[in-house]
Amino acid sequence: MTSPTRTPVTILTGYLGAGKTTLLNHILTGQHGRRIAVIENEFGEVGIDHDLVVNADEEIFEMNNGCICCTVRGDLIRILGGLMKRRDKFDHVLVETTGLADPGPVVQTFFMDDDMKEQFFVNGVVTLVDAKHILQHIDDSHEAREQIAFADVTLLNKADLVGPADLTALEKRIRSANALTKIYRTVNAQIDLGHVLDIGGFNLDHAMEVDPHFLDDAEHDHDHDGHDEEHHHHDHEHDTEITSVGIIVDGDCNGPKLNAWLSELVRVDGADIFRMKGVFAVAGNPDRVIFQGVHMLIDAANGGPWGERPRQNRLVFIGRNLDREALNAGFRACIV
Amino acid sequence: MRLTAGPVFDACEHLISARWLAGGKFLVAVPTAGAPVVWDGASHSRELGHHGLGNGCLAVHPSADVFVTGGADGKIRMYSGPETPAVEVAVGRGWIDRARWSPDGSKLAVGLGKHLVVLNRTGEVLWKSPAHKSTVCDLAWNPVQSDQLAVACDGGAHLWTIGGEEPFARFDWGGASLIITWSPDGRWVITGDQTPSVHLYDVPRDFPLHIQGYESKVKAIAISSNSRRLATGGSPLVTVWNCTGKTGPENTTPRQLEGHDDFCLALEYRSGSDLLVSGGADGRLLVFEAEQSVRPRAAYLLDGEVVTVAWHPKEPRVIAGTSSGKMQIFDVVM
Repeated sequence: MTSPTRTPVTILTGYLGAGKTTLLNHILTGQHGRRIAVIENEFGEVGIDHDLVVNADEEIFEMNNGCICCTVRGDLIRILGGLMKRRDKFDHVLVETTGLADPGPVVQTFFMDDDMKEQFFVNGVVTLVDAKHILQHIDDSHEAREQIAFADVTLLNKADLVGPADLTALEKRIRSANALTKIYRTVNAQIDLGHVLDIGGFNLDHAMEVDPHFLDDAEHDHDHDGHDEEHHHHDHEHDTEITSVGIIVDGDCNGPKLNAWLSELVRVDGADIFRMKGVFAVAGNPDRVIFQGVHMLIDAANGGPWGERPRQNRLVFIGRNLDREALNAGFRACIV
Repeated sequence: MRLTAGPVFDACEHLISARWLAGGKFLVAVPTAGAPVVWDGASHSRELGHHGLGNGCLAVHPSADVFVTGGADGKIRMYSGPETPAVEVAVGRGWIDRARWSPDGSKLAVGLGKHLVVLNRTGEVLWKSPAHKSTVCDLAWNPVQSDQLAVACDGGAHLWTIGGEEPFARFDWGGASLIITWSPDGRWVITGDQTPSVHLYDVPRDFPLHIQGYESKVKAIAISSNSRRLATGGSPLVTVWNCTGKTGPENTTPRQLEGHDDFCLALEYRSGSDLLVSGGADGRLLVFEAEQSVRPRAAYLLDGEVVTVAWHPKEPRVIAGTSSGKMQIFDVVM
């Protein structure tokens, strides 16, 4: 659960030239009334000269023989550990990654390191996409695809350089990989900062309230576009490597079976599962059980009473080479 | 034995380090933010320049007059004495949170991102290492060979000779080390790790040891001045290993010193003795006769986590610095 005393962290990703530095400048000069510390990567596209910006290396701490799910960012542990010892603590931390970085270790740092877990919570992952040029490298760059897969919010930047039809097609493609992400079209990374700083993407309480229709989209093979309310047929010709799988099943789960299934799933396939979120109805439990995960890390919490709502299990996986049938079958086997 | 509380100075911010200066006549403390301070242990204090978004480190020269501070602005400030102005050196872009003087006091080593940078006493760069694969987390000089350094990085430790194009030895264990020290006799390179463990590297034998079983990442290690004992944090117990013999701690049972209710955060042996001072997250400052008893001989409860400790260079006296920004002098009355 999110502690009110912990400091939110927003992770900013995006391929080279997508506009991360422009967004950082927008945030640092914005009238949001917050004191935001920015951890900028050492090889930033343009160095930002600002009192609240710290340069850091993308230093990966590998543990357990380099298992991707056990990697964390050592530079963040050191620098943020120091910053948060100050009496005048920061209201928010923004971590920029390099264009070629995998967001996984950054997110995992705030779940795996005891000191970081105590002081911070991940507000969300924001991915900038260069609307004009993304198609030139998305097929060749697994980093670009994974950054999209991790995103709670996707800023389709430089939208003025692309026609409406192409933008719509691009949004479809992004959503085919990540059914959970909110997409905003931006020019010069200009965006209401609330959409970037108040995401709640990793807040368990917020997990199902971000977009109550996202599972409908994922499950029923059509897109829901946040801008124009158009619906589109899901396009399966792209991004077969990274996809979203949504599951909606009425009824109650067997708690021990569910635990066993999830544990085995992340143990075997955790490296390929970037994000997962959901809500479960567990037999004998009058309350909703909300969960989310990153790779092999799973967090669960009480989501409050079901009330008048139907006891319906809803979950989404975003990852590489997901086996939709196996996931459906595995979960359905947990239903009482 | 007892601890008698002496004067206290409030730096108002979580302390990173507090050390004695000028043969114990002054103290210098670096907080996480705001001005580092030099204090005479009584009524006089002097504020030094800070390092922007955060201070990172303090290194006191073996002569105990010269010291440097470093931090988020990528600069170090060199002071030739407690009352002298700073010489500011911009080392590069990045956070400087590690700096160490060479044993002979002629050189200063600084970790700057993935590089190890060695400067002379006037701040001129003598050598910059090639980039490591990862950040230089910590560094330590070889106490018996003033041109050799150990660096914690790249999932292990690298040993460098100044001017070298590549390390003369690598100790790669695939983990992540946070702190590193080199035993006074030059035999052991020791790291405290992100995974709850300690690694020892027997340099002459080119032989690594891995000690596990700690409760948390190991943030505090101290080795006795005769190199015979290694004290480690990583739990509320202070674990002391016997580093004598052909194989050092291998297949030995450590002494486990009691008295903290929370994690041990700071350790230092008194030179030439088995007196070990320990600071904990429980706010306790403990003094052990580590060879005599597993119970502390003296204890004092402070008002914050005890994050840094240092013995006076001559007197039986310690300084303790806390997370609440206090540094306080204690006499150890035998």
